[in-house]
Amino acid sequence: MGTKAAYRLGVATLGVMTAAIFMVFVYVPTEAQEGIVQRIFYFHVPCAWVAFAAFALVAISGVFYLWFGQQVWDDLGYAAAEVGMVFCTLVLITGSVWAKPIWGAWWTWDSRLTTTLVLWLLYAGYLALRAMADEVPQVGRLAAVVGIVAAADVPVIIVSVRLWRTIHPAVIVTRQGSHGLEDPRMIATLLVSMAAFTVLGTWLLMLRFATLRTTARIINVGRQLALMEAEMVDMGAQARGS
Amino acid sequence: MSALTAILRKDLRLELRTGESTIALVFLSLLILTVLTFALNAPGGDTATAAGALWVAMIFAGTIGATRALIGEWENGCIRGLLLSPADRAAIYCAKLVASFVFMVLAEVAATMLMVLFFNLDFRIRLLRLGPVLAMGALGFAALATLLAAIQVRVRAGDLLLPLLIVPVFVPALIAGVKASNAALAGLPFAAFSQSLKILAACDILFLAGGYLLFEHVITED
Repeated sequence: MGTKAAYRLGVATLGVMTAAIFMVFVYVPTEAQEGIVQRIFYFHVPCAWVAFAAFALVAISGVFYLWFGQQVWDDLGYAAAEVGMVFCTLVLITGSVWAKPIWGAWWTWDSRLTTTLVLWLLYAGYLALRAMADEVPQVGRLAAVVGIVAAADVPVIIVSVRLWRTIHPAVIVTRQGSHGLEDPRMIATLLVSMAAFTVLGTWLLMLRFATLRTTARIINVGRQLALMEAEMVDMGAQARGS
Repeated sequence: MSALTAILRKDLRLELRTGESTIALVFLSLLILTVLTFALNAPGGDTATAAGALWVAMIFAGTIGATRALIGEWENGCIRGLLLSPADRAAIYCAKLVASFVFMVLAEVAATMLMVLFFNLDFRIRLLRLGPVLAMGALGFAALATLLAAIQVRVRAGDLLLPLLIVPVFVPALIAGVKASNAALAGLPFAAFSQSLKILAACDILFLAGGYLLFEHVITED
């Protein structure tokens, strides 16, 4: 995974994102009941998707790290947690912006909002651990454990939070079988937005991952240099001794 | 098994002689309940507020005081000896978990008494129905806290980190526990909180399994 691949993905992101922005602001018809505000939905949902996918990746790479112990998995998990956190924050912000005119409040303790907030808190804890345990040699293993526990906790969080009432609109699939997106252009816009945010998330992940890989390599080189230096000193001492 | 009982007996004896954890837990619970009584100023007999206050006391007293049995091992490097001994890592985990659980149950009995006094409830037979709810909560919390406390001790300023890690993970148990406690205190039929109990049980199983499987990875130094 070189800089060239990251560069190409960056260009692709720019292209798809421009298309998505054009579709959201120009192409797609305005929703009849909610009006112009509904357009934020085309950013809100893809952000949620990227955040959840990234958090799943944190847990998966955590399992692989504990299993195989290769630094690559740890770096991948760290990068995914950071990217997931960015998009989870965006989900909460775009959701709030939408909720104010529609529900009349920035925040309600609806089940999906609550779940997202708890997720945000979980991975804030994960990143706090990574930041505070910076110089602990086993930080990767500690973080992997927290990442796995957090992901395993998600289903229980969803069930427990559902003990409360929910007022979040059911888009995509409802029990009645209607998905709430009447116009085919809306579906097309949503799909393009999904694609745009997926490549954006992947691109950011690649950049962060590459940085972490480089850091790991530098630390490794530094360690080898220190070893060589110690050997040289040793040899010098022996030479002087004989 | 013998390793488990040996470690546990050691921890319980230590606690009998100093009372460090239990006294800290009881006093913290007392403080938190007092603060919440002032802050919320709930009318007497408000079971919902009382149940909530009890769980807040349990969580925050627990994060500070429940894991002393494990954290204490790092003082004077006792953990090295424990890890060098042929004891299974899972046995160490279980012993520490049971010790934390015992301390928390003792503190919760005291906190429940205080809650009844502070929130003007009655000492009635229905308080006993709170028993299984609180025991399940304490078990889940002890399981989670024992795993995460082993992470805490490795990190500089780890005592700041522990609540950040524990509280979000414990949220589902908290929601279910408060709901079940309120139902038990209000004298609702068992059917009213069976769902909450199921969620609590799911949390317990999850935290126990997670701690049992992952403890080895956080405790091993190389």
